[in-house]
Amino acid sequence: MRALIAAATGLAVALVLVFTITAMGTPSGGTSPKPLLTTVPAHP
Amino acid sequence: MRRKTSLALLALAVFFAALSPLLRWYAFPRLAKIPAGQYQDMVLEAKDATLLDYGTMKAEKVPKVTVVQTLKGNVEASERIERTAGRDVVVWDGLSYVQGPDGKMVSKIPERYIFDAHTQEPVHATGEMVDGDPVKREGIEFKWPFLTEKRDYEYFDAQARVTAPIHYEGTQDFRGVEVYYFEQTIPWTKVPFPKTMPVAGITPESVARTGTTRWYTTVRKFWVEPLTGAPVYGEEIHKEELRGGTLLGGREKVTAFAGHVKMREDYIEHTVDLVKSNRTLVLLMTSYLPWGFLVLGLLLLALSLYLEARGRRGAGPAPADTSKPEPVTA
Repeated sequence: MRALIAAATGLAVALVLVFTITAMGTPSGGTSPKPLLTTVPAHP
Repeated sequence: MRRKTSLALLALAVFFAALSPLLRWYAFPRLAKIPAGQYQDMVLEAKDATLLDYGTMKAEKVPKVTVVQTLKGNVEASERIERTAGRDVVVWDGLSYVQGPDGKMVSKIPERYIFDAHTQEPVHATGEMVDGDPVKREGIEFKWPFLTEKRDYEYFDAQARVTAPIHYEGTQDFRGVEVYYFEQTIPWTKVPFPKTMPVAGITPESVARTGTTRWYTTVRKFWVEPLTGAPVYGEEIHKEELRGGTLLGGREKVTAFAGHVKMREDYIEHTVDLVKSNRTLVLLMTSYLPWGFLVLGLLLLALSLYLEARGRRGAGPAPADTSKPEPVTA
């Protein structure tokens, strides 16, 4: 019984961790202030 | 104490073993996406190209034509579209600026490309356009999806405003990176004149009145890193002609542009470095961490079982007393 509880705890923590990370997502940031180029840049 | 340790190890084993598939099949598809605010530029060159001189209306050989391509993520527009689309959306405002050998503008074509941040599927919303003309893209443009497959894709051609297959032609090594090579041929197609013409006073409407039409064909080649779906190199064998009408002075057709357009060397190096670093991140999520967690989970499970077995052996029934009985005396 105690083994079952330990296994369930491990599974629950994994699920919570993954769901939390994916719910937080990745930051989208802001629109770059740089313009659309009409000159040839010297380097990348 | 040993029993508690084995239970803790069992919990950890299940934690890591569960994390392995969750990371690969649940977290990765949701976390891998194109950032909405991404900005990137690219320089391509066509050396020894043919270019139309609009002053004389004659095609001339020129040492170099340069294409500057910029893609800028419009975060405000993507957030506005996301509210109705119900998914992560990226809006790229792009500009293809073509410059002749004298530094003067040859053409300038803006476009807005709207797509799903995870799958790169096109999303249709107001504002989707090429050179001011509303379009409805089918297929991909500029970038392939994450975990690109060895198959043909539908690719949108902005000049002709059509979607056509881009064929998977094999796997190659490009500067130490395994890439999938794709090729698309757009046959001679009548295309609109750019809204911004290279000579002041000439407009697409004034050219159209002469009866002259613009035609275009291209062979488009992309070398795509399959994990990120990012092209590390691209080429285009591009030809444009003006045909018929009074503008050509009785000639049937004249070449407006012909050239083999290739990425500039410094941009190739920059792109390869960038893709290599992004590739490592994708590998971390799809391979290194899932396999590492699975192996770790199995090792912890084995250790837990071992400790449990030892604990049980130690706590078993006491051995029988084999000492001789005391002699009984009367």
